[in-house]
Amino acid sequence: MTLKPNSIAELEELLPQSQRFDGVSLEAVAELIEHVPEDMTAIAQAGMTLADFQSRLAKAGQWLPVDLPHPQAVTIGELLACNLNGPRRFGCGTIRDWVIGMAVVLPDGRLIRNGGKVVKNVAGFDLCRLFVGAKNELGIIVEAAFKLLPMPEAEAHLAKRCESLGQAEELLEKIWASDLQPTVLDMHRIDGDPLTLVVGFAGPSADVEAQSGAANALGFADDASLDYDAGFRQATLNFTSVAPGNLISTLQKLGDEAFVARAGNGVIYHSSAKPVATPSPVLQKRVKEIFDSKGVLSG
Amino acid sequence: MGMNCKPDKRQLTRRLIEIVGKDAVLADERELVVYECDAYTLQRNPPTAVVLPRSTQEVAAVVRLCAEMDVPIIPRGAGTGLSGAVLAVDGGVMIALTRMNRVLNIDPRNRRALVEAGCVNAWITRDAAQHGLFYAPDPSSQTACTIGGNIATNSGGPHTLKNGVTTNHVLGYEMVLPDGTIEWLGAEPDGGEEVGGYDLRGAAIGSEGMFGVVTTVLVRLMKTPPAFKTFLGVFESVDEASQAVSGIIAAGIVPAALEMMDQLITQALEEAYHFGFPLDAGAVLIVELDGLAKGIEQQAKRVEEICRRNNAREVRLAKDAAERAALWKCRKQAFGAIGRLSPNYVTQDGVVPRSKLPEIMRFIRTVSDKYELRIPNVFHAGDGNIHPLILYDERKPGQVKRALQAGHDILGKCIELGGSVTGEHGIGAEKIDFMAKQFSKDDLDAMQQLRRVFDPKKRCNPHKMFPGAKRCAEFAQRAQITA
Repeated sequence: MTLKPNSIAELEELLPQSQRFDGVSLEAVAELIEHVPEDMTAIAQAGMTLADFQSRLAKAGQWLPVDLPHPQAVTIGELLACNLNGPRRFGCGTIRDWVIGMAVVLPDGRLIRNGGKVVKNVAGFDLCRLFVGAKNELGIIVEAAFKLLPMPEAEAHLAKRCESLGQAEELLEKIWASDLQPTVLDMHRIDGDPLTLVVGFAGPSADVEAQSGAANALGFADDASLDYDAGFRQATLNFTSVAPGNLISTLQKLGDEAFVARAGNGVIYHSSAKPVATPSPVLQKRVKEIFDSKGVLSG
Repeated sequence: MGMNCKPDKRQLTRRLIEIVGKDAVLADERELVVYECDAYTLQRNPPTAVVLPRSTQEVAAVVRLCAEMDVPIIPRGAGTGLSGAVLAVDGGVMIALTRMNRVLNIDPRNRRALVEAGCVNAWITRDAAQHGLFYAPDPSSQTACTIGGNIATNSGGPHTLKNGVTTNHVLGYEMVLPDGTIEWLGAEPDGGEEVGGYDLRGAAIGSEGMFGVVTTVLVRLMKTPPAFKTFLGVFESVDEASQAVSGIIAAGIVPAALEMMDQLITQALEEAYHFGFPLDAGAVLIVELDGLAKGIEQQAKRVEEICRRNNAREVRLAKDAAERAALWKCRKQAFGAIGRLSPNYVTQDGVVPRSKLPEIMRFIRTVSDKYELRIPNVFHAGDGNIHPLILYDERKPGQVKRALQAGHDILGKCIELGGSVTGEHGIGAEKIDFMAKQFSKDDLDAMQQLRRVFDPKKRCNPHKMFPGAKRCAEFAQRAQITA
């Protein structure tokens, strides 16, 4: 069964009484708690969808710099619990880089807060980082505070079809060594389409224009879409992670398999990817035992 | 705590020497004086012994010995910390990483550097610069502080506004746990940046040396921006300079750095370094833009407009790289110049939401009046991270006590305004009392749960961070004599 609390307080009561359950739906816990544009920070409850959150922030010309596929179908809680991201990851980092505080209901019903709402804060241990990506196995994230960015004045995405991985590699190395500062550096080969390299630039319009011009000179065509990401990753969540310099050699081993790759980060989404290895098994097990001693939360 | 606070020192020393050699063990009272405190000098206590290991294996062997003899361990970098995080409250073996200070590898293709924990922060950029790369976090003590210490406190610096702090730039590291086992947390030197399981790497950054001894670190390097523009905005008052800070943020500009210095600081800096700061200005703002030439040209015009709109008397642009370097050198040595103003000072490290800067600065002025102590300010305005420097003279009756109370009042106000009692210096031994003000009992218990994952026996850097911790006896004595 799925727990559907009407409030955070109700979740605090429900969790300790629960046996194992399938999941928690926080659709009733979905308020924007605050957005202070002068501080470039905002606090939202975990049930709010990312799309809803972004549209509220956009009113003041700001955004949370993550661009995962289908933001209308993903809540703030899921974004954090699964550490989701999208094509702009190369320029913007991951949600770990933007979360500054959290409220979490632990399996025994305690509501705890960590971090705060200021952009710089080292008081106490950083539990926020532990809960990001922990799939709600250690506690249920109910509220989170983020630092934000101004929406870029301009943005442009460009693509180039490549004949071979060798050609793609050559281009990639040129971009890597240049003064260009791409926010998107992706490569994809999906649905029988040819291998394509994608670059994106964001920032002051003068910069975006100049960088797009430089990409044009390398053969990139303007007005590329980033839809490949949402389309492909609806079906494919598995990924392989390698050092960025090993990207091409890893792709070579995939044969004809379809993929979307964050070339700048060395992350390759493809269906045959094996789960990324989990080191330090003893510590990992201890984390779960200490935070969820009764094994209430799945995982 | 069940800890062996009075181990047989002779036996301990002998066995430490067996592991690391005679030249790597300090146990003589005179030698230990250097290690009785960090840059927070109000509390002091010498460790039982100091070891200076040369390898992870030596660190692990020392840690295992301490586990066997039930002796506390205290990891230490360069001792530049400002909160007493490396204070040996109850003795124990201090493991100083200063001999493990090499840059092991710069990997320009993957934009990574592998360094030993005792490597000085600035050395990474020094070695990476030839590849057009740099290590972003730049604490003011970066020419002395170590990367291991930076991990312990999750250090920031003036340029973290745009680029983030240590946790955003450390990909992975090797850590010797308090039981002597060696773990690599996070991304490995040749591996991908995604690692399975819970983020232990992130969870242990900022743990103030309480989870284990970091020995080797893999950091992310960034491309050196092709262009910089560094301004000095001269304002009549701190209020007007603060309004300019808000204006820049509201305009959607994220400078690389946005630093403020008030009149007392600029006067002291001018006397010390002769940079050319105006002596009669209420506040000086340093704004640095970095990025591509055209874009920052565009942003620079807007920044200048915003400064002028907020009554800047003068907006001066650093004319070349040398002037820019000189300006940052002054800023980073600001604490050092305080010696000219006062025999003693205590630095605070509060954070408020950016929009509350004018309010906290006004509050600091009332605190200064109330306790009759001068409080100059130099701080990371863009982050809302304030550094009031409370000046006192320990020889004058009552001043130590008043300085401490002034600090307490200011940090209390930071919490009230929705902020934090530390933005980058850490809790250490200094701010333990504030933890219960900023966090609930449940919040603190959850932190202790995380500590149990790494150090169930609480033997690694004990008596820190949490309320109820044991204090140094000497602290009370000194406070009584001077207060």
